[in-house]
Amino acid sequence: MTLVAGVDIGNSTTEACVAEIGQDGDIRYLAAALAPTTGVKGTTDNVKGVAEVVREALARAGRDQADLRTVLINEATPVISGLAMETITETIITESTMIGHNPDTPGGAGLGVGVTVAFGDLLRRSPGEEVICVAGAGLDFEEVAAGINRAAARGVRVTGAIVRSDDATLIVNRLREPIPVVDEVTLVERVPLGMRAAVEVAPPGHTIRTLSDSYGIAGVFDLDAEQTRMIAPVARALVGNRSAVVVRTPSGEVTGRRIPAGELTLIGERGKATAEVGSGAEEIMRALRRVEPLLDAAGEPGTHVGGMLARVRGTMSELTATPLDGVRIQDVLAVDTFVPQRVRGGLAGEFALENAVGLAAMVRTSRGPMELLAAGLRDTLGAEVLIGGVEAEMAVLGALTTPGAGTPVAVLDLGGGSTDGALATGDGTVESVHLAGAGDLVTSLIDSELGLEDREAAEEIKKHPLAKAESFFHVRMEDGTARFFEDPLPAEAFARVVVLTDAGPRPIHTRHGMEKIRRVRRAAKRRVFVANALRALARVAPGGDIRRIGFVVVLGGSALDFEIPEMIAAAVAEYGVVSGTGNVRGREGPRNAVATGLVVRHAMSAHALR
Amino acid sequence: MSHTASAATVSAGGPAAGGYTLRLTDKGPAQARHRADEVVIGVSPAFGGLFTKTIVGIPHAEVLRELLAGVEEQGVHARVVRVPASSDLAVIAHTAAKLSGSGIAVGILSRGTTMIHQKDLVRLSNLELFPQAPLLDLETFRLVGHNAARYAKGESPQPVASRNDYMARPRWQAKAALLHIKETQLVRPGAVPVELEVSITRAGLD
Repeated sequence: MTLVAGVDIGNSTTEACVAEIGQDGDIRYLAAALAPTTGVKGTTDNVKGVAEVVREALARAGRDQADLRTVLINEATPVISGLAMETITETIITESTMIGHNPDTPGGAGLGVGVTVAFGDLLRRSPGEEVICVAGAGLDFEEVAAGINRAAARGVRVTGAIVRSDDATLIVNRLREPIPVVDEVTLVERVPLGMRAAVEVAPPGHTIRTLSDSYGIAGVFDLDAEQTRMIAPVARALVGNRSAVVVRTPSGEVTGRRIPAGELTLIGERGKATAEVGSGAEEIMRALRRVEPLLDAAGEPGTHVGGMLARVRGTMSELTATPLDGVRIQDVLAVDTFVPQRVRGGLAGEFALENAVGLAAMVRTSRGPMELLAAGLRDTLGAEVLIGGVEAEMAVLGALTTPGAGTPVAVLDLGGGSTDGALATGDGTVESVHLAGAGDLVTSLIDSELGLEDREAAEEIKKHPLAKAESFFHVRMEDGTARFFEDPLPAEAFARVVVLTDAGPRPIHTRHGMEKIRRVRRAAKRRVFVANALRALARVAPGGDIRRIGFVVVLGGSALDFEIPEMIAAAVAEYGVVSGTGNVRGREGPRNAVATGLVVRHAMSAHALR
Repeated sequence: MSHTASAATVSAGGPAAGGYTLRLTDKGPAQARHRADEVVIGVSPAFGGLFTKTIVGIPHAEVLRELLAGVEEQGVHARVVRVPASSDLAVIAHTAAKLSGSGIAVGILSRGTTMIHQKDLVRLSNLELFPQAPLLDLETFRLVGHNAARYAKGESPQPVASRNDYMARPRWQAKAALLHIKETQLVRPGAVPVELEVSITRAGLD
């Protein structure tokens, strides 16, 4: 009997499996353990984490470290992924023609049209004139309301108002004749005066109808066909708002501009292709499909994409002590996303959802650092260290210990940095592929699309279901069911959207509702995991035909997710493929597959040698 | 109203810097209400009476005006009560919350210390606390009113940014202690909360 430990060093977790292998190659599994990976996968920094996890497993098995004969590690050729995100569109407002923000509480309702007049000049206007009152900073709501009432009493027709502070409801409540009021216009002093303008406020629960419609604006300002064409982007930018202001200035306009993000050159086994990053993810992935498998990728120097790939390359070269030109990008995954960005030229801090492309790149380097890692482990643990086979092949062997699984089987290993796929056909050959993009990219998408700027919060949103704390004793879950608590929720969770983590409900600090957060979360997972699952299966499937696979076992940390496995199952069901979550050795769930596979493989080869 | 003994006290803040005059008139014992769209503002025994300004001299008339405006801007109703039985902010705010139809209340001491409370919370907890009275300005009081109203509507407001100044404590502690002692002398143990009619007027406005 020899005591061995299989160790799988992943991007985020290191897992170990301790077992005894008998004379005839029979395996007795003793214990498993897992711990966070120390340092970047495949580097000597891992030694600390590996030693810790092996000792933990040995302790659980009740065995002494001195008895450990062999440590088996996977050939963790650093499959390291880099992430980058670039905005590719921007909205610019020139000459302040419109205010399209959504204050929480605009006042009044309806449409008001008139000439913009400063509050102080209101009483100087002649009776019968139609005006829009512009009230700057430092004015009190009672003063403004009284001033408008006085002007109205003199016959000046004040049809709407634009104000600096959050006073709209307060002003309207004090008017004799209610008018639409848009408030919280932070740069109100830049609203052009003496120009024709329209103010529209929709009743609660509705959105504006006139200013979000090109012909609506044309009607208000008597525009001809050519001018209407010019104003169309303004209308488009205001769709979905509860309140808006449009001022007609001689040359103001709203433009949507594409930012030149640079060209991505993909060099594959089947040739070379280029894609303009600014034209979106679909274009990049189409170019990739034409040339894959990828040998390397390059970004146009001096552009966003050039800088992006240079960063990835620089990190890889540093981590693996490889010269910069020796680093090869082996896969990229491009994802369309959007980022809330402050509108340039806006007067009220307006945000627009700009298009962006998220790019995950994956690099494979030489085995060099693995030998260093093995040497470090040998010193620390005092046992023989063997570098085993390719991760994906080990994953297949581990997956096959799932009760009910048999060949031919395809394995999807959903990790933090990469998605790995492998297919075992039953005749001993294993086809495998590493793809860029996994859990980390999902976290980035959630973070940027919700504008959180808090990766930790994004990570929790990714991992756990949502709920809204409706009182101190119950939450409404995202599926609509209520859940009650005996003990009150913490005060900071009250009235907030919370993630139901293992440590209890944790409030998310965002103004987005539960439904929006859920939609963003699911869309991010679908765009990364479902897309990569299909990509990986197509790459390993015989003739690229997913229908010929039959069975898929989902493994890895992300297989523990509460919704990813079912999303993948639903996607591959279209191809008549059975998909399920692995249960390694009938007890480890989707974890520990590679570590177990290393032990299985060692037992097989040790027996064969005898 | 069965309110008899201590004939309605009228307290006047007098025209201060901003020119607003605050009149708080007792209207008898405050009742718990059931309308869900209200926020109750609970004031301490000496608020707008013995004292007319916060610790840094902001007139109570303006403080209350901003709290009420914050609630009104959100389309929610406000009701003001006095809690004569305590000078403890947590007790004042929690008592007010239990009277509030929405379960949400703002509690405020004469020196300006403020708290947003909810009826189901334990008394010593709170939704938002603004412990450093010298740092509270009118803008903050408006935002406190806002947030209280938004909690009442079941929304999830971002907590009002709470300022902190390490020097506030040493600098103001002695004055705060004196103000607290004065306020505590007005406490009438066991007295029930009183509904107040609020009138804030300003010379020269129609």
